[in-house]
Amino acid sequence: MRPLHPRSALALLGLLWLAVALGAPLLGSQPIGLLDVLRGDPTALAIFWQLRLPRVLLALLAGGALATAGLGFQTLFRNPLAEPYTLGVAGGAALGAVLALRVSEGLGALGLPLVALASFAGALGATALVAGVAMHRKESETGTLLLAGIGVSLSTSALILFVQYLADATQTFRMVRWMMGGLAVVGYREVLWLLPWTLLGLVALLAARWDLNLLLAGEEIAASRGVDVPRLRLRILIATSLMIGALVAVAGPIGFVGLMVPHALRRLVGHDHLILAPACLLGGGAFLALADLAARTVMAPADLPVGVLTALLGGPFFLLLLAVRRGRG
Amino acid sequence: MNNLPVLSARGLVREERGRGNAGWTLGPLDLEVAAGECLALVGPNGAGKTTLLRCLAGLRKPSRGEVAHRGRNFAELSRRELARRIAYVPQVRPASVPLTVREAVELGRYPHLSPFQLAPSATDHRAVDRALAAAGIEAFAERPLDELSGGERQMAWIAAALAQEAEVLILDEPTTHLDPRHQRDVAGLLHRLHREGGATILLATHDLELAGLLGDRVLALAAGRSFALGAPSEVLAADSLATLFDAPFQAEADGRAARLSLAP
Repeated sequence: MRPLHPRSALALLGLLWLAVALGAPLLGSQPIGLLDVLRGDPTALAIFWQLRLPRVLLALLAGGALATAGLGFQTLFRNPLAEPYTLGVAGGAALGAVLALRVSEGLGALGLPLVALASFAGALGATALVAGVAMHRKESETGTLLLAGIGVSLSTSALILFVQYLADATQTFRMVRWMMGGLAVVGYREVLWLLPWTLLGLVALLAARWDLNLLLAGEEIAASRGVDVPRLRLRILIATSLMIGALVAVAGPIGFVGLMVPHALRRLVGHDHLILAPACLLGGGAFLALADLAARTVMAPADLPVGVLTALLGGPFFLLLLAVRRGRG
Repeated sequence: MNNLPVLSARGLVREERGRGNAGWTLGPLDLEVAAGECLALVGPNGAGKTTLLRCLAGLRKPSRGEVAHRGRNFAELSRRELARRIAYVPQVRPASVPLTVREAVELGRYPHLSPFQLAPSATDHRAVDRALAAAGIEAFAERPLDELSGGERQMAWIAAALAQEAEVLILDEPTTHLDPRHQRDVAGLLHRLHREGGATILLATHDLELAGLLGDRVLALAAGRSFALGAPSEVLAADSLATLFDAPFQAEADGRAARLSLAP
C-alpha cells in the first residue's frame, strides 16, 4: 500500500540529511565551490567551516529537536495539533530566556548557562501548567489542551512584552530579534551544547517505543496492556521540555516545525515510533536547514530569521489541519 | 492448581469524583471469582459496572479495601505484572486508531516484551496468530482498523486482549452498538473461550440474554452496591429485574432471562 518500505524511507531521509549537511554550507549570498573548499582556498575554508557549517549543523539539530518534540507531544496527548509552539512550551522557554537576557548582560561566558537554565525552567513550567490543566478536565482533552496552550502562550507573550518595556532600546532590539527565532551563530559552541539534549529526547522516545505505539490505541487500552501511563507521560514530558528549553536558549522560539514535519513523515514511514522518531530527527533537521538556507538567500544580503519563515508556512498549515481533521482525537 | 479464587475483592470501596460536586461511591463490595468461571455484571446506567471492572482490572486503585489475583494483592503488582494476569477490553475507545488489525493485536504482547526488544519474537508471533484464529479474523488481519465495521473492530480488540494470554478476560459491554449478527459473533466467541477454553471471564452488559447465556453467576449492581448475586435463573427473574431497573419485565420459559416489555 505504501510505496516505500519504512526502513528504506528512513535510509532516504538519512541521505537527504547528509546531502543538506554538505550542500547547504556551499550556498548563500556568496556561493562557494566544493572544489575551492577541498583545494584549501582560505576564504572558502573560512566561510565553509566557521560561518556556514556551524549554522547548518545547528539548523539540522534544532529542526530535529523540534520535530521529535512535536511527535512526542502529539502521541502523548493524542492530538495532531500539539507541538512545542502551540502548547506554549516554547513560549515558556522564551519567557525564561528573556528574563535571563535582561539580567545577564555583561556576564559573558556565564550568559549561555544562565539563559539555558532559565529557559529549561520556563519550558518545564509551561509544560506542567498545560498538562496539569488538560488532565484536570478529562472529558474534552483535545480541546482543553490546545486552549490551555493558548492561555499559557498569551500569558508568556504578555510577560515578555512587559520585560521588553522595562528594558532599554538596545536590549529590546536584541530580544525582539531573538524572539523571531534565528540561527545566526558563529562557531560550534551552540552546536555542541544542543547535541546531547537532542539525543536525550530521541533516546527517551526510542526507549518508550512500544509504550508510545500502544498509546495510539488510547490510554485505557495502553494501561490495560501494562503501560504505566502517568510515569510514561512524566518521562517524555521532561525529556522533550529539556530538549526544547536547550533549543530555545540558543535559537529562540521557532514555530510549527514540530507540527508540519511529523505530520508529513507519518504518511511516509507509518506510525511505528522506532522508525518515526529518528525520521523526525532527520527530516525535521533537513527541513529547517533548507528553510534557513531559503531565509538567508531570498532577501540576500539581508538575513531573514528562519522563525519568521517557518511561522509564515506553519500558520496556514495549522489552519488547514484544523479544517480537514476528521472528528475528534 | 489451588483453591484460591482467581480474583477476589475484600471490602472494595472506590470513591469517584463525579461531574460537578456530586461524588458517588462504589461498594463496599466483597466478591470472589473462581478459576474458569464466567461472571456477568448487570445493572442500570451509572450503577458502577465500569468502575468495578476497572478496579478488578487494576486500572483504578480502590479507595479502601483490596483486590487480589490468586491471593496476590494488586498493590504489590506492577502494571506489567497485572497485564500478564488480566486482560481488559474497554467499551470506549478512540474513534480513530492508525494501526492494522495485526499491529493492534501485536501490541497485546506488550507485557511480555522487553523494552530492549526491537521486534516481537517468534513466541509473540505465534500468540498473535492464535489470537487472530480464535477470534476468526485472519481474513482481515492486514487491514487498517479504521476501515472495519464496528463489529469487526470489536473482534479485533478482543483478539488483542487474547494475545495478552492473561488468565482473566474482562470485557465492558462487548456487544453494545453492534448489529445482531456481530452480537452473535461476539457471544459465540466468548462462549467458546469460556466453555471450551476454560477461560475466566468477567463482563458487564445490558444484554440480559447474553448475561444469562454466558454467566455462571450474575451480579446485579444498583447505585454502587450489590443488589443480587447468584444463578442467572434467580437474578435475571422478572420480579428481580423489575425492581433493579424500575421497568416491567415478562418471565420467559425454561429459566432464561426475563424480557423487557417495551410496549407502553
